[in-house]
Amino acid sequence: MKKKYVLFILLPLCLLIIPVSLRAYIGPGAGFAFLSSFLVFFLTFLLAIFSLLSWPFRFFFRLIRGRKSYKKSSVDQVVIVGLDGMEPTLVEKYLEEGKLPNLSKLKTSGTYKRLGTTIPAISPVAWSSFMTGCHPAKHNIFDFLSRNPSTYLPDLSSAQISNPKKFLSLGKYKIPLSKPVIKGLRKSIPFWKTLGQNGIFSTILRIPITFPPEKFYGHLISGMCAPDLKGSQGTFSFYSSEKTDVDEGGMVIPVDVKNGQIETYISGPQNSLHKNEEEIHLPMKILINKSNDSVAIKTSGKTFHLKKNELSDWIKITFKPGLGMKIRAICRFYVSEISPKFKMYMTPLNIDPEKPSLPISHPFIYSVYLAKLLGPYNTLGEADDTWALNEGVIDEDTFLKLCYDNHKESEDMLFNAMKKTRRGVIACWFQVTDSIQHMFFRYLDKKHPALKHARSEKSEKVIEDLYTKMDDLVGRVIEKLNKNSCLIVMSDHGFKQFKRGVNINSWLYKNGFLSLKKGKNTSGEWFKDVDWERTKAYGLGLGGIYINVKGREEKGIVDPGREYTALKSELKTKLESLRDEKENQNAIRTIYDRDKIPSGPYKDNCPDLIVGYHNGYRVSWDSVTGKVDSHTFQDNIKAWSGDHCIDPEIVPGVLFCNRKIGQKKASIVDIAPTVLKLFGIKPPAHMDGTSLL
Amino acid sequence: MMNVLNAVLSKIFEIIFIPFQNINPWYGMIVISLLTGILMLYVFKLTSDQEGIKKAKNKIKAHLLEMRLYKNDLITSFKAQGNILVSNFKYMRHSVKPLLVMIIPILLIIIHSNFWFAYDPLDINEKALLKIKLSEEYTPSNFDIKIIGNDFVNIETPPVRIDDEHEIAWRFSALKQGVHEIEIQAGEKSLTKSVSIGQRPLSKISPLKKRKSIMNELLYPVEKPLDKNSPVKSIEISYPTSGLRIFGMNIHWIISFFILSIIFGFSLKGLFGVEI
Repeated sequence: MKKKYVLFILLPLCLLIIPVSLRAYIGPGAGFAFLSSFLVFFLTFLLAIFSLLSWPFRFFFRLIRGRKSYKKSSVDQVVIVGLDGMEPTLVEKYLEEGKLPNLSKLKTSGTYKRLGTTIPAISPVAWSSFMTGCHPAKHNIFDFLSRNPSTYLPDLSSAQISNPKKFLSLGKYKIPLSKPVIKGLRKSIPFWKTLGQNGIFSTILRIPITFPPEKFYGHLISGMCAPDLKGSQGTFSFYSSEKTDVDEGGMVIPVDVKNGQIETYISGPQNSLHKNEEEIHLPMKILINKSNDSVAIKTSGKTFHLKKNELSDWIKITFKPGLGMKIRAICRFYVSEISPKFKMYMTPLNIDPEKPSLPISHPFIYSVYLAKLLGPYNTLGEADDTWALNEGVIDEDTFLKLCYDNHKESEDMLFNAMKKTRRGVIACWFQVTDSIQHMFFRYLDKKHPALKHARSEKSEKVIEDLYTKMDDLVGRVIEKLNKNSCLIVMSDHGFKQFKRGVNINSWLYKNGFLSLKKGKNTSGEWFKDVDWERTKAYGLGLGGIYINVKGREEKGIVDPGREYTALKSELKTKLESLRDEKENQNAIRTIYDRDKIPSGPYKDNCPDLIVGYHNGYRVSWDSVTGKVDSHTFQDNIKAWSGDHCIDPEIVPGVLFCNRKIGQKKASIVDIAPTVLKLFGIKPPAHMDGTSLL
Repeated sequence: MMNVLNAVLSKIFEIIFIPFQNINPWYGMIVISLLTGILMLYVFKLTSDQEGIKKAKNKIKAHLLEMRLYKNDLITSFKAQGNILVSNFKYMRHSVKPLLVMIIPILLIIIHSNFWFAYDPLDINEKALLKIKLSEEYTPSNFDIKIIGNDFVNIETPPVRIDDEHEIAWRFSALKQGVHEIEIQAGEKSLTKSVSIGQRPLSKISPLKKRKSIMNELLYPVEKPLDKNSPVKSIEISYPTSGLRIFGMNIHWIISFFILSIIFGFSLKGLFGVEI
């Protein structure tokens, strides 16, 4: 074998030394390598020269600016590790049991506090307050969804994406003559923009409500609420040869197995180049190999092999809407059954960060840079596919693997940023704490109704593992900190059990505040059968109640003056005494009146009332989407068994810091002014929070 | 075995060039470069670590972007430059194996292409030299050798014998179009050497015929080699060297081949799914 290898190398070398006048040329292969390498050397050399020549100018510019920037700064670097939904009671329990050594060190040498959250205690709301230092009425984010008063239908609260307005008609095509409109709806100013205006650099990684990315002095990759390629917040595909339904979060694509093969497709985005805007379908062929329980999947010009119960790597796929255009995505596959039935899950189509079809980073090249350096990574705002587990199309182990794989990608981004942002702010959001707690919290309560109905293959150890893994992450971050760094580990809210769902719309209907069309006693999604001309109030989203106000809502009937105030008061009184007879307790702890919580220029977009549920309760799945039926209370039997959309008073987050923080009660709106203070910058007047230092 | 290989390759080249023999040699060059580009892409795909190459290239690009992203941080910028060089070496390392494998087919292509593109045939009345090299044990002045008369070349000079070089040379002028065999009587041996006169724009020309050996058969495959024990080591005709004309310049065929095959390789890499 060795001899062969030597011969293999020697023979071509001998040929090279043959005295032929043409020996200098050794083929295009060498040419490829030589040319590319030479180009790289040449470019590197040029860049090095340019860096050196321009360095004195940049040095002096930075010296002048930097002196001003960091003159009053008490730190070189601030690192913020955002662990979404980390629950203080669990942290305190595990700290006491000695299971979180790194957080314990932080607590001892620095600070640990519970961190007040926003009203309502929902991630997009809380993280918007984190970055702006403002209460929701100033940043305009009150929920994942907002309602359109003209149609009573929901809109995404964080961003608006619409097609170009001008087109050139050409046969079946409509060629856009203007750009699509991608508009961020979060208002106010994030603290990193203020830092940038003062010459301080920031790297912001996956913080929620940062899509579309805004310009500032630093780098940013969008987080929660960044859409998938279909424009949704994450639509998985489930290929099944068995008749199956999914309620939410995904689509079922029925398949037939013929001669060991499946001819199917990947459902892509709508083709906005076509006049009829049909969905683009990418053909996919699945070849089944029963003997070794595996499949070969052929799509987008490539073939990859996948074993049963194995999650694929990221697969790059390309949709071709026509006219030579390409839309690129990445996704992962998981085959749960091969025979006799075939079942396969495909993650939502993430925008390919290497060739993004929508802006997901600032500057635009930042997402490309990360993809080339670290490999493909999830770009969907909520990449941990809780819906897939909720709908039972993946099992708990697969869900955990998916979550921790996504988490690892975020970790890699954080450590890369820490290495390269030696001065300034690095803030990174981790979703894994939120997703795993949502889906496994029931294991902490033996009486949780979901334990009987949803898959229950795991134990309370899942949550403990999650917390110890996060502690380990904090330990590794501490190791990489600069000498003069400030570390903040925080969560936006805590977590509680979600055992009973409250259908606010059903309650409103039963109590005469919401009316249905004649002959109807239930309504489908999005108030399908609601008679708006006889409806005074309706619930939408994860805790909002809107009054059907005359002149504001399209078919409003409640006068905006006294009647409005009286109605709110009546609803508040009645809802706060809403009794769950089965559990023999009140379901609602507090109703927040928008006129009695901190105000701001966007107060008008806030729900008129925000429901603060008791521990164990949350708005029911049906009520969120505007369904009305005869039940006010329902057991929550889904795997999604923990939640935080309850009274904010009982779901504060956590705050750890490696510096001593005063006795003041801490709130999430205080983080932004605290960071500014660390860099010696006076917080702007619009910020509601104050520095904790 | 060499005979078989030469025969097969000669035939392949003849077939490839059939449509292009009466037109500008550039067409033939484009075709052979295209085929070479495709072949090399295929070989590259089969023999290289495609994943490794992709990773190394991505790292190079990432660090180039890093220099742009962290342009205000000199240390990060210089580290990025260092990383570019490291990744570039990794990239080159990944190219070594396919490069070694490719040398063999590329050398064969070059050897055969050389006979099609490197020389021009003799024009009618054009003068050229016919040189014979003898083995060291023979002295040209004592060696009995003559060119047998024919009607396609006119031997203009008596043989010039250079003992120090073991060489005998004649000057001749071309008379008749075609590919002919000049007969040479060397002692008791009768030898032949082909001569091309007034041929088509793209034709196969063999300037040198050597004694039989594996290397000589590999490098001079057009004509049957001289006998191993022949007193004559080689027979050579001094054809004018050829070139491909473009924008009034004469470019050596190997340069055109080099550039074109790389351009084709790069252009088709996407089509063939090859990471270069």
